[in-house]
Amino acid sequence: MNDDPYRSARMNEGTDVQSTGLNGVDLGRVWTGVAAEVWRRHPGPVERLAARLLRSPGLARALLTTPSLLLPWLISTVVIFGVGGIINLAGGEPLVWFLAPGIAAVGIAYAYGPGVDPAWELACSMPVSDRLVLLVRAVAVFAVNACLGLLVSAICYLLTAHGTHGGGNAAAVTAAVTFAWLIPMTAVCALTLAVAVAARSATAGALTGVFAWAVTVLGSRVSAGAFTAAVTDSAVYLPYLTIAVCAAAVVGYASRTQRRTQ
Amino acid sequence: MNIELNNVTRSFGKNKAVDGVTLEAGPGVLGLLGPNGAGKTSLLRMLATVLPPSSGGIRLLERDPGSTGARREIRRRLGYLPQNLGYYPAFTVVEFIEYFALLKEVPSARVPKAVAAAVERVDLGTKAKSRLRTLSGGMLRRVGIAQAIVNDPELLLLDEPTAGLDPEQRVGFRALLRSLAETSTVVVSTHLVEDVGAACSEVALMDTGHIVFRGAPAELVARGEGHEVGDAPLERGYSAVLQAARASGKGPVAA
Repeated sequence: MNDDPYRSARMNEGTDVQSTGLNGVDLGRVWTGVAAEVWRRHPGPVERLAARLLRSPGLARALLTTPSLLLPWLISTVVIFGVGGIINLAGGEPLVWFLAPGIAAVGIAYAYGPGVDPAWELACSMPVSDRLVLLVRAVAVFAVNACLGLLVSAICYLLTAHGTHGGGNAAAVTAAVTFAWLIPMTAVCALTLAVAVAARSATAGALTGVFAWAVTVLGSRVSAGAFTAAVTDSAVYLPYLTIAVCAAAVVGYASRTQRRTQ
Repeated sequence: MNIELNNVTRSFGKNKAVDGVTLEAGPGVLGLLGPNGAGKTSLLRMLATVLPPSSGGIRLLERDPGSTGARREIRRRLGYLPQNLGYYPAFTVVEFIEYFALLKEVPSARVPKAVAAAVERVDLGTKAKSRLRTLSGGMLRRVGIAQAIVNDPELLLLDEPTAGLDPEQRVGFRALLRSLAETSTVVVSTHLVEDVGAACSEVALMDTGHIVFRGAPAELVARGEGHEVGDAPLERGYSAVLQAARASGKGPVAA
């Protein structure tokens, strides 16, 4: 190849093939064209859809490399939700509402950042903003967990006696629990993300989120007499949303380029 | 000028990793030499727009990286190989390079050819479909170089690029540097003075955050005449300049 210094260097040492073929055809150029076709990766439908929605093939590719959206992680998430659903169907607590915020928070903490994304340093030098990557990945992890949680929760609701027979306070509570955990989940995820970004540690973020959620649930048991008060008591929605907004502001401040210190 | 630094400082707590560096560079290969902890990596990270300066002015490719739009434009024209290349073990060579081509916003239609050209330039064609976890350290370094050059950068920043390369690969790499430098500014941070002698048109020597020497490799060699520390002429020049800088209390020895 005429423009391949590695080969040129070896040619100088008399160990390489000629790069110009018969009739002066530039075989290097021909081979690069062939290799481009042979090695070309064909994006799957999800990536194509994401690229269209995000209007950026790079961002779509970055989204699909999210550590906490890779298959092993997703399988673990489905298994945990499934076990929660089975316990619920067996007559236990509707566990999905308790599990979903914690699972989503851990997933978001491990979506992006130093120590989590192997190529984070390199990604920070890319025109596709690392802040945008963080945002897209966090939203995607949240959406996937919310969909899984809602699916399992809705199935449990439909299959339990409360769901099928309806009526009464128990049915109202079940209906509330089926969807109401989305608000605390938003707050817990935002808090987790804020701590992970500010402390530059996914583990610190995940531990904080899970601990805060556990304290909230136990606290509601003590103060209101029921674990489910953490999601069914409408008085706590405003504090949840306030936490979510404040945490989002912290993420915005802590993720700006000028803040990097290491 | 593709690089314009004006009294740039970068501090980490009380430690000044880069201390009042003023530097200009156009097309060519600038070798960045210096002992461990001299500030080379911090300087490269600032040039890569990964790290903002604590004070001083930076202009890259005639733009101010402090503004969001300009920074994005600089990054499109930038190639960067960090000291520690993080990679996704399950990616193939081609997938990894393609990933960064997409993140660098190379137009989608041009990506396959740009990736193939980058793979061939670092002589990894036979490993194009191999997973990164199966590659040797030297091959991974070449993958890192390939991702850095996939967008035909106008400013190429390489931190210890020859670490892990065998002698034949280093010869090829130097030739690659020279060809890239015909149109681009290439900054290479290295401990290997023979790389500097063979590939660099200019050398900057750093110590304790300062640039203590700036000139052609031949000038650095001249500094070492009569100096006894070092096995090769460039090593003697390197040692002589460092010794002189430390004796005089860190100020620039030559410019």
